[in-house]
Amino acid sequence: MAWQRAASLESIPENGVLGVEIAGTPVALYRLKDEVYATHGVCTHALALLAEGFVEDGKIECPLHQGVFDIRSGKALCAPLTRDLQTFAVKVEGGEVFVALDQSAHEAGEKRPEESTLENAAATGGVVVIGAGQAAAAAIIAMREAGFGGTIDLIGDEPHPPYERPPLSKEMLSGQGGGPLYRLTEEDATRQKVKLHLGIRAAAVDSAAQTVRLDDGTTLSYGALLLTTGGRARRLTVPGTDLPNVLHLRTIEDAAAIDRAFGNASDVCIIGGGFIGLELASAASARGLAVTLLEREAEIMSRLLPASLGRVFRKLAQQHQVDLRLNADVRAIVERGRRLGIDAGGEIIEADLVLVGIGLEPELDLAQTAGCQCAGGIVVDADGRTSVPRIWAAGDCALHHIESGNRALRLESWHNAEEQGDAAGRSIAGVTATARKAPWFWTDQFSLNIQMLGLVGAGDLVAHSGVPGAAPGAVYRTIDRNSGRLTGVVAFSKTKAIREARAELEKEGPFDLAAAGAQLLNAISASEEINLEVGDMNANPPLSITTRYVWPKEGLRRIPDWVYTDQTIYEREIERIFQGRTWNYVALECEVPNPGDYIRSNVGPTPVVVSRAEDGTIHVFENRCAHRAAEFCRELSGNAKEFVCPYHQWSYDLKGNLAGVPFRRGVDGKGGMPKDFHNADHGLRRLNVTTHRGVVFASYRPDMETLQEYLGPEILAEFEATFDGRKPRLLGHYRHTLPGNWKLYHENLKDPYHATLLHTFLVSFGLLVAGNKSLMLADPTGRHGVMASAKSDKSVSSESKNEMRAYREGMELADPRLMNFIEEFDSPWSVTMATIWPNLIIQREMNTLGVRQIVPTGPHEFIMKWTMFGFEGDDEEMTRHRLRQGNLMGPAGFLGLEDNEAIKFVQDGMQHVPNGNHLVELDPAVAMGTSDTLISEAAIRGMYQHWRQEMGL
Amino acid sequence: MTRPLSTPVVADARLEAVLLRHEIETFNTAYAVTLDEQRLMDWVELFTDDALYVVLSRENFDRGLPVGLIYCENKGMIRDRAFALRETAMFAPRYLRHMIANLSVFEEASDGTITARANYVVLQVLFDRPDATLHQVGTYYDKFRRTADGLRLAERRCVYDNLLVPNALCIPV
Repeated sequence: MAWQRAASLESIPENGVLGVEIAGTPVALYRLKDEVYATHGVCTHALALLAEGFVEDGKIECPLHQGVFDIRSGKALCAPLTRDLQTFAVKVEGGEVFVALDQSAHEAGEKRPEESTLENAAATGGVVVIGAGQAAAAAIIAMREAGFGGTIDLIGDEPHPPYERPPLSKEMLSGQGGGPLYRLTEEDATRQKVKLHLGIRAAAVDSAAQTVRLDDGTTLSYGALLLTTGGRARRLTVPGTDLPNVLHLRTIEDAAAIDRAFGNASDVCIIGGGFIGLELASAASARGLAVTLLEREAEIMSRLLPASLGRVFRKLAQQHQVDLRLNADVRAIVERGRRLGIDAGGEIIEADLVLVGIGLEPELDLAQTAGCQCAGGIVVDADGRTSVPRIWAAGDCALHHIESGNRALRLESWHNAEEQGDAAGRSIAGVTATARKAPWFWTDQFSLNIQMLGLVGAGDLVAHSGVPGAAPGAVYRTIDRNSGRLTGVVAFSKTKAIREARAELEKEGPFDLAAAGAQLLNAISASEEINLEVGDMNANPPLSITTRYVWPKEGLRRIPDWVYTDQTIYEREIERIFQGRTWNYVALECEVPNPGDYIRSNVGPTPVVVSRAEDGTIHVFENRCAHRAAEFCRELSGNAKEFVCPYHQWSYDLKGNLAGVPFRRGVDGKGGMPKDFHNADHGLRRLNVTTHRGVVFASYRPDMETLQEYLGPEILAEFEATFDGRKPRLLGHYRHTLPGNWKLYHENLKDPYHATLLHTFLVSFGLLVAGNKSLMLADPTGRHGVMASAKSDKSVSSESKNEMRAYREGMELADPRLMNFIEEFDSPWSVTMATIWPNLIIQREMNTLGVRQIVPTGPHEFIMKWTMFGFEGDDEEMTRHRLRQGNLMGPAGFLGLEDNEAIKFVQDGMQHVPNGNHLVELDPAVAMGTSDTLISEAAIRGMYQHWRQEMGL
Repeated sequence: MTRPLSTPVVADARLEAVLLRHEIETFNTAYAVTLDEQRLMDWVELFTDDALYVVLSRENFDRGLPVGLIYCENKGMIRDRAFALRETAMFAPRYLRHMIANLSVFEEASDGTITARANYVVLQVLFDRPDATLHQVGTYYDKFRRTADGLRLAERRCVYDNLLVPNALCIPV
């Protein structure tokens, strides 16, 4: 025996506990009257130091979850404990306490009852337990403790022996390799003479024959059957639930998968604001992930807790930067490149990972086929008996039995599994159940241990005492509205309150709030909070954007003017669209053919430089010096070896890296940059770049899908019909401002209706008539489109003519070469206008080719930059033909000037009419998207479907 | 050898230059008036049959890029431009003032082509705004030829400096 000095006797408080460490082992020393005892210093349940616990009546209560151990024997006395505490031998010599880690305290504690052949319910044929969870383990232990000596067969469809589920949403998600906590190990099973059938499902129960058939073909007969079948994680019923990285939590494997996924994700969206959802949020937050939590109801946990108490939990999460959204109606989960998008009622929330925590569906199939009465759970009495003789049920699948009330509810908790399992086990063994304790529950969130005792009703009154909010020490009591009785206590990191509450809950009659120093809370609902905002424009936080901007009730058939005229909306577009998940056109490669070539460009309104580096790669970075924000590149295009900001001569290489800072080390040892200044940290802001067929795109998002994925196959095909593999050759630019909202330009090219009506030139000279073969294509998201038509050689039919008031016979061009179409593309269309969200139009107007780049400058104006091109290999006549046909387009083009004027007129029309709407009703047969008639606005509706999603409006 | 008195004798090259300059200035004034009054079909008649009329940005001009806002390779295309604007184009009504100044006249080539250059400004007034806006500012690079009807433009390249065209160029410059 190796005695080691542990402490001086007097350092251990009388009737108290002292924590020490002996040879690396935490040890708790207790002084009860004149005796000193030693136990292992850490609770057997969760990681908590017993030295911080509470000593009373020879017992130590763990500070974390209120587990109580007998100090002398180490015996675990109550839930949540399942394992005894290790004890150590102690001696006291000369005021010094010595501990022997290699020897337990003297043999203490009661011996197990001898196994008996007691006549009991199961004696006629052994016990079969279906479902190897915690309730099963508790029942088996109780049966054996009660002296049941018959056979026990335990069937579980998971490959694991019974384990505890609370760590799955806590310790096991810490990224620290926390393993499962088994409630009944295989060794325990051997010792308890339990035959395990793991990884096997029970296929059927025949309650008349008293047999269970397993799906491996085995049939077991039973004297008593215990159903501890638990449940399954409820799944969303929306599209996309089966995508990878949409995870649920129920099993060890689920927890391991989430733990791994946390390691690879930077943000997570959690669906469901219950205890599991909040614990997942807490675990993700602790791992450094950005967390969005979506709750369908107006307050979290609204079916479990009064709203004012749900609000406390919500505020706690919000204080820890959880973006918690109420009334979130999840409609679909979609792939967004390598990320996921959660369509939550008009807004797409992006995340690397989606966790679904929307509750448990009890596994009732076997109970129902066995004939057990079920009502959202298996109906049981206080002993766990079902309505069918010789069948018991316990745990998550069983209803909670309440003696007095007629409330039917299931308690999905560790404590309930233990209690019900224990009661059923004793009952099966023929022993009357011991008195049940009040339901008890704990949750660990954001470093707080929150415990709940009693049965809280969602309609109860709530009284608060102690520290406000969700701070450690805050205590909430729930009071039945009718009787005034205390129904439950919720304590934030204050176990003492829970200990005291056991007595409070047993008291008859109305609870004396004043005596407890508690005050009733007003029932503040989330909707009332919003009303407060509406009443006060200066409210902080300000009125939410979704409250201020309400889409017309007609849906996409109307577009409100604020879409085009509002500064706040415009700024949100910059953030969510141009700097969001989009590929933005920035250049043609032929504009920067050689190393060192550069042009100025824009992504949204933001000026960028497109540059070709020495190695031939193309780079896009902000035209804003990392030092003092100067827009350093002033030439429209050029060739450079480096970029130097003229203000303080900071220089950057062709990839946007900071190369030089003048006087970085100061002069004469004075001034200069701090020592920890590294050039690598202060480069220009660089964008993600991709090119396809000579067209350069940039994105603020580093995780963009490929351009091909972004366009989708149909739009890609049209893109590649114009950029057909020949190398584009630059012919020149036009630039113009346009006093209209930038989206009107997209709409104009998703509006084939206007083509024959506004552009009478087209009709007058037979370029486009309503009978021409045509298509208005939209991609599935609605954001991209292609307006296409095929030039008709047929003369205009009289029917079409009448529709077209502008058609005039006898109008001829002096130089009809303008209208010639030289076949050069592998496409059925002679004209295509592709609108590539958010800033590109690809024009193929017969043989005049151009890309148009939208540069928004405010809600009321944008700049359009046109880059006209031909192809290498064009002869001089072909180039001239393209230039001649160019008269159709651009700010002086026969068609182009009319579009610009019409869009200006639209913006003008919105200036002085408050609260106006646009009418977008054409082609009601097509709700949105692709239409094969020109007399349609379905593509505009499709675009706004997408816009609203991106904008969350 | 004596000259008939009725035939004026112009032997002074400086006087020749003054007269040519005056002739071109007179032409440019008439050109401006025609456009100010938006008499587009009359404007067509100020060009030779093979005239080149291009409106292009200083940006393209300086880089040798050919794209123009308006690109007419012959009088037929100029006529088509005028005709289409008059008959089919939709744009807001407006008043325009064309100012042409700083004329430089270069030598007259052996084929009679006169090279000249002038600056131009187009002011535009829309009916709902009090101000006249500087709609375009640039330089004409011209080639004139004498015809039976007088001086005509064989080439006018209107190179504009304000690269960002304000919305639309509806009437030629």
